[in-house]
Parts: sequence; structure tokens; C-alpha cells
Amino acid sequence: MPRPGRAALTRLSRHRLLGSPGAVAGLVWLAALVIASLTAPLWLPFKTEDQDFTAVLSGPTAAHWLGTDELGRDILSRIFAAAAGTLGTSMITVIVGVGLGTILAMLAAGAGERTETAISRVTEVMMSLPGTVIILAVIGAVGTNIPLVMAILGILMSAGIYRVILGQAKSLQSQLYVDAAKVDGLGPLGISVRHVLPGLANTVVVQAALIFAVGMLIQAGLAFIGFGPPIPQPSWGGMIQGASQHVYDAPWMMVPTGAVLALTVLSANAIGNALGKAPNAAAPHLPSAADRRQRAKAVAAIAAAARDAEETGDAGTDAGAKGTLSVRNLSVGVDNAGTGTGVQLVTGVSFDVEPGTVLGLVGESGCGKTMTALSLLGLLPSGVSATGGQILWNGRNLAATPDKDMQSVRGREIALISQEPMRALDPMFTVGYQLTATIRRLRGMGRSEARAEAHSLLEKVGIVDAGRILKTYPHQISGGMAQRVAVALALSGRPKLLVADEPTTALDVTVQAEILSLLRALVKDTGMSVVMVTHDLGVVADICDQVAVMYAGHVVENGRTAAILDNPRHPYTLALLAADPHANHADSMPERLATISGQVPQPKDWPAGCRFAARCQFAGSACLEPVPLLPSSAGDGLVRCVKADQLAIEGMDWLATDVPAGRLLPVSPVSSATPEPAPEQDSIVEKDLA
Amino acid sequence: MALFVAKRLLMALATVLVVAVLAFLLVHAMPGSPGAVSLGAGASQDAIDQLNRQLGWNDPLVSQFARWLGDAAQGNLGVSLIDGRSITADLANRLPVTASLAAGATILSAVLGVALGVTAAVRGGLLDRAIGGFVGLLVALPAFWVGIIFVYLFAVQSSVFPATGYVPFEVSPQDWALSLALPVITLAVGGAAFIARQTRASMLEALQQEHIRTLRATATPTWKILYVHALRYASLPIVAGIALQFIGLFGGSVIAEQLFAMPGLGQAVQTSVSTHDAPAVQGVVVIATVVVVAVNLVLELATKFLDPKLRAS
Repeated sequence: MPRPGRAALTRLSRHRLLGSPGAVAGLVWLAALVIASLTAPLWLPFKTEDQDFTAVLSGPTAAHWLGTDELGRDILSRIFAAAAGTLGTSMITVIVGVGLGTILAMLAAGAGERTETAISRVTEVMMSLPGTVIILAVIGAVGTNIPLVMAILGILMSAGIYRVILGQAKSLQSQLYVDAAKVDGLGPLGISVRHVLPGLANTVVVQAALIFAVGMLIQAGLAFIGFGPPIPQPSWGGMIQGASQHVYDAPWMMVPTGAVLALTVLSANAIGNALGKAPNAAAPHLPSAADRRQRAKAVAAIAAAARDAEETGDAGTDAGAKGTLSVRNLSVGVDNAGTGTGVQLVTGVSFDVEPGTVLGLVGESGCGKTMTALSLLGLLPSGVSATGGQILWNGRNLAATPDKDMQSVRGREIALISQEPMRALDPMFTVGYQLTATIRRLRGMGRSEARAEAHSLLEKVGIVDAGRILKTYPHQISGGMAQRVAVALALSGRPKLLVADEPTTALDVTVQAEILSLLRALVKDTGMSVVMVTHDLGVVADICDQVAVMYAGHVVENGRTAAILDNPRHPYTLALLAADPHANHADSMPERLATISGQVPQPKDWPAGCRFAARCQFAGSACLEPVPLLPSSAGDGLVRCVKADQLAIEGMDWLATDVPAGRLLPVSPVSSATPEPAPEQDSIVEKDLA
Repeated sequence: MALFVAKRLLMALATVLVVAVLAFLLVHAMPGSPGAVSLGAGASQDAIDQLNRQLGWNDPLVSQFARWLGDAAQGNLGVSLIDGRSITADLANRLPVTASLAAGATILSAVLGVALGVTAAVRGGLLDRAIGGFVGLLVALPAFWVGIIFVYLFAVQSSVFPATGYVPFEVSPQDWALSLALPVITLAVGGAAFIARQTRASMLEALQQEHIRTLRATATPTWKILYVHALRYASLPIVAGIALQFIGLFGGSVIAEQLFAMPGLGQAVQTSVSTHDAPAVQGVVVIATVVVVAVNLVLELATKFLDPKLRAS
């Protein structure tokens, strides 16, 4: 992880600030207020104490733009005269509170667990105090010394700031580069200042803006109840207090001061919120109602397109045999409201899964495997939806099925197992509750019947003490156990197709083998089929009947597992195999495992021609044209490479050395058109060292 | 769990003790001796010194604090320097006012805030943005200003509610409720806005959890995912936020009591601070701390009880 550079951070903040109209308006308002207030003696039409007895309690007039108070003093003049003091003393709270909170947080993060516990205890106590009452007692002791009172308020508020910053300071403190700096002999203070503080900068600024707003409100509140600056001196709170005495006869007086105070607080909040907005929050797994409406439109569009195709007679709507999944020309894209479709993440994916067979979707991270798998259940993350093609299942096109109709498919016909079993289970409910509720819903059973079924399901997935596990919460069981529970949960609706998204990746090696053999046994016993997403060719060899190799959002090669593993035709498949320590037999193990230079291109950067060309050792000028998926010379599979046959005849292997792209052809326009990735960018194909 | 409760109780006790010391020291730093405050401006120095001796003002601080603590433990917080009334009795009369105010405001804030926050998170789109803007405005409005506007709208323009004053529950439950309405709503405006933000963020966080996808994959109805599973997951930070709001609203009642002329603790702090009534300040600070710490303790235990990880251990 790169060290969060100061420059990068400020650039980001600046961008986020300017990106938010509210924050820009807030900045302008605060700047205008400060300038107007500081220059007030130069331009204000009246002195703050000038009393105009001809216009007492007046509304806005040409002479008094914002009206006058009960002594005929000009409200506009008093507001601006009070502004500098209000903003300045609020800054005292900010500096004391945020400064102390940040220092405490860095101290707690850097100085070990005992210091952290001690500081945290003290701040907990501080947070559970009635702050306002204590501040009033302080005023009793020190009088209405506003700067001092605001500083003490800052101390009281530092506890909350400490709580906000601590977590981030701790995570920065535990970064590897901080460990490296420690080894290099940098002291705790140096680490805090050089490595932790810059990373906290944004949070600190956000907190400062929010505390500034709170400080202003509290200061005004104190002035309102009579603990403001000494009497003739104007303060916003005091002016509102004065106005409240005349709410019966001059309600207008409330408006200007209240509006200015509210606008100023609003400005500070807007700046803080704009800076504090998480840059890319994860998408919810259950889209909001607005997003669901958007999704429904996309589904309707696909349905309409399919109907049109049917009417013109060129649709391939052969529903297929019962229990066969046929994905035809599926594409998935980012929703882009207004301007049609956004970036495509998956394009033209087709495959079939026969009943009782296992299909492996293989490829590096970011190739669209998971998106393809999730679209089978209509569970794409918020903001992403299927944009075309068909997912044919029991005579139905699931890509064009509305969400409410998908409810009868999910769990009952197609089920899902995810990568992280611990996170896939609800931490707030017992395993027993989650299983029985699912069984009752999917199978329409009664409570006790479902309970018995849950017990037998757990035994079926190899859990010996099912009775005990039913009573536990997910955090009380191991990862392997949790994955068995997740499998049981997936089985509870007796599905015909199981979508397994890297079901063994997060597990220990021994547990991986157990879960795989469990899945193999389930396929054999129940006759269900499985779509298995994985990047582990060992898993593929172990369990899959068919393989579809995906690269950059489309299938580059598919066919029977044995054919693909023994006779790979696509260079990407060749590379994956060459990079896999398990695919190479011990006797023929090369001295050095192959790598695939560069990275999977981002969806927006996909070229029109072969998407693998930029990383391919065999790429040539022919690879600049779009490449169709054609029957492979090996077996009954398909391959998307113009050179597949040539490679097969010449028996070329993916070389383990850093070979420049295009070694097959002398000089290729591809390698000059797409610059060679720097050697340090080389990434070994994502691999379990299992 | 029992150990946890015991630990928290000890912490709460320690907090109150620390505040008691703090209040004692603050009161001693107040300008003017108790004799001078009690006898007023015209008193002779001899009379002041005599009264100070009587009150033990010249004794060592430690023994003064020990005496105060001993008395306080027996429920005696001393007498007011201004009018000689029993501070314990006075605060006992005032506590119900502030308690009903703060409790009412907290409950109303929680109900409104959770409803708004959940709606924003669940509905999304335009409604989410509208609620976000509305809530942002409410957060920025000072409570005392809102209060005056309410007085203007509901008490001056249309006399739906009494503008000021407090009617004890024993006298007339209906008038009690009416007299509380405006101050409670005033305090709840800001409180609801804060809780709405907290709720929205917590709900979105909950909906990003992977188990939500598992629930969808097993055909769980949307309402159940939202209101049983996601809300349950989000309940921990929401309740913690409500606990924090209670502290804030309890303090905020100082302003509401001043604004609506309610004889509560807040008014007592304000008058006793203005008149330098040392024992009264000390008493009210300690009592306010006891209430806040106690309520906080209960809500914290409730949060922990909501968390299966902590409940099981």
C-alpha cells in the first residue's frame, strides 16, 4: 500500500471540496463573513452602539437594511461587528479540541496497549459528563471569559475527537512502512509526525470543521442564557436573546441573526461533510428503492429486446432441457442514468451447464467471473446490471426476469455460496435461526419440522455435533465450519444449481480439500449442477467437468476440463498453467515459474482487438482486430485467439522469462502501440500457494 | 457479563467522584467567599468572617470535601447561600422537570431520527437527498432560535400550547403534557437530525454487509432484510448514538428551561452560577452527573446486550 502522500491527499481534498456545491458556497460565505467582519469599521453604516430612537424595533428599511433592535441599534452592523469575535473564539475550541484529541489519539496508537486503555478510559468518562452543566460551573468560577471558556469546552470535546481519530491512527500505525521506519530507528515521535499525522490530515480537517460549527452553536447558546461577552458588546446569541423578548411585537428581529448563525454553521458543516465523504463506499447488497426502480428498467429493456428478437424470428430461444443452464451472449454493465449504458464489465459471455455437472469459471481477479456468477441469481451489486443477452433456465430468461419473480428462483432453484463464510452469515442471529427461517420460507415447513430438517442438513454437510452448532452464533465457529453451515443454508431450498463464488479461497488448505470433497459428494448425491468461480486451477482439475477461462470480461477459451488442462489453445490459458506450481509435475517443474507481465486492463481500457494482446508473448498485428470465439482444434471447445492453431502446430510454450510481447512475429505494431509495462509491474498470476 | 456490569458500575462511581472533586474545586475558585455572597453587599467584614468560620470555609480543603461528601452520601447537599433553602429538596423538585424534558426529547428524537434515517437509507435517490438536505439544515439551526420560532408560531400566533411555564404531572397530566410539548419539540429538532444521520450511515453500512446478499440469495423478503436483519445489525451504533444524544439533550435543557421558564435543573445551574451560590452549583453539577452517568450506563448495557459477541462472553 503506498504511503498516503501529503500532496495526494490535499489534491483529493481539494477535488472533493470543489466537487460539492454546498462546500464551495460554504467556503465563500465563511471567507466573505471574515473579510466583512474584519473590515467592518471601514464600511459599516452605523457603529454598533449607535441608537436611532426614530427607528426602534424597525423592520428592514433603506437606512437599516436588516432593521433595528429595541434600542434602535442597526442589526446589520451588530451582526458583522460580532462575527469576528464569534468565529475567532470558536477557533479556540477547534484548536484545543482537535489538537488535544489528535495528540491523544496518536499517543494511544503509538505507545502501546496500556496507554491506550488508560487514555480511552479517561475519554469515556469525559464523554459521559453533562458538558453544558460543567461549562456553566466553570463560568461560575472564571466568569464570562469567553476565550478561556471556549478552550475548556475544547478540552471536553477532545474526547469525542479522540474516539473518531483513534481507529485511523491505529491502522496507520500498523502499516508495514511504519514497521519499516521503526526498524530503521525512527523514534515514536518521528513516526507519529512523519507517517501517522499526514494520513490523519483529512479526518482532522473534517473534525475541525464540524467542531467549529458545534463551538459556534454552544457559544451562541451561552450568550443566549446571559453568559456572553460583557453587555454592550454585541454577540449573536445575545442578539437572539434580545430578539426573543420582542417576539410578540417585533418577530422580524429573530430572522437576520438566526439566519446568519444558521448559515455559518451550515457552511462549516458543508465543508466538513464534503471532505469527510468516503470516496468510494462499497455498494449495498440490497439496492435502495430508487436503485431497484433503476434496475427494473434495465430488466424491462432486456425483456423488450428479447421480445423484439423473437418477433423478427432470429432469437435463439431454445429453452434447452430442464435443469440445463444456458447463458447466451450475456453482458453486464455499470448503470449510467441518462446517457444510456455505462462501462461494460462483462461482454458476450456464453456457456452451458448440464444437470449434474460442474462448470469452472477461471481467470485472474477483475476478469468478470464474479459478476457473471452473481447475474445468474440477479444479485449484481447496486449500480451494476445485466445489459443484454440471455440466462436461460427452465424455459425462462433470468436476465429479463423482474426482481420479484427472481424470488421464486433464488434459493429454491439456484443457490449461492460466497467466498467469506464468516461474513456470509448474519452475526446477529444464531446458526439455528438462520437455517430454520430459511427452510421454513423455502420449503413451507412448520417450526419443529424445519428445526429437524436444519439438524439433518448440518449432518449432511459433515457437521458432527449439529445440535450444538445450531445454538451458536457465527463468530463462535471456525471458518471451515461456517462454510459448511453456508453450504447447508444454500442446500435448504433443494436447489438444482449451485453458484459457488470462490468457496474455498478464504479457507485453510486442509479445510479447502474437505469443502471440495463435500461439494463433489453433493453433486453426485443430489444431481445438482454447480457453477464454480475460482482462480485456482487445482480446484478446476479437482472438481470441474467443464471450464470457461475468462479474461477481461469475456470467455477466451472453454471446453472439457481435461482438454483445456492438457491441450490449452489460448495463450492466456497457457500462461495460467505455466504460472501454476501445481499444474507443473514435479519432474518437469521449471526452475522458475512463469509470470504474466502487466495487469488485467480496466474495463474502460479494453481495446477493440484482442484484450490480452498487450500482455501476450505471441501477439502480432492480426491481434488488433476483434477476435471471434471459434471452435478449437482440441476437442469440442471454443477459443478466442487468431493464432491458436499456429501455436498448437508449433507447440509453443509460455516462457518463464521476461519475454517482450510479440516474439512470434519480428516486430509487431501492437508492442509499439501499447507500451511495454515496466518490469516491476509484473504480477505473478494470483495464486494460492496451496 | 456480570464482571462487565461490575466494572462499568465502578467506572460510573469513579466518574461521579471525580466530578464531585472537580465541582468542589471550581466552587472554591468562585469569586467571593460564601459569607460575602450570603450576607450581600452591605455586610461588614466581621460579619462575613464570622459566617465564613461558621461554614468551615477556612478549614483545610480536604476536610471540607470530606465533610461535604459525608453529608452528600446521606442525601444532604447543604443549604443555599442566598435564601437558606435545602438544596436537596430544591433539586428533588427540579429533577422531574428536567428528566421529563430530556427523556421526552430523547424519545421523540429517537423515533423521528430513526424513521428519517431508515427512510433515507432504504428509499435512496431523490428522497434520500431531500432528507439529507433537511437534516443538514436542522443540525445547523440553534435550538434556542428554533424554540422562539415555535413560541411565535404555536403560542403567539395560535395558542395551541402555552408559551412558557411548567405544570407538574400531579396537578394535571394533560397540562403537564401540553406544557412540555414545545420545549420537547424544540430540543428534539437537533437531536432527531443527529440520530437521523447516525441511523442512515449505520443502515447503509449494514446493507453493505455480505450476509445481506446471502439473505437475498435465499429469497428473504425485502422488508425482512431491511427491518429485521439490517436494522438489527445497525441497532448497536444507533443506540450508542441515542445515548450520546441524551447527554447532549440533558445539557441542552438549560437553554430550553431558560427559554420556556421551566423550574428545572438547568434553571438552577443558571441562577446559582449567576448568584455565586457555591453549594447550589456544587449540588446541581453532581446531581446532573449522577443522572447522566446512570442513564448512560443503562443504555450502554443495552447496547452490549444487543451484541451477541459480548452477550455470549
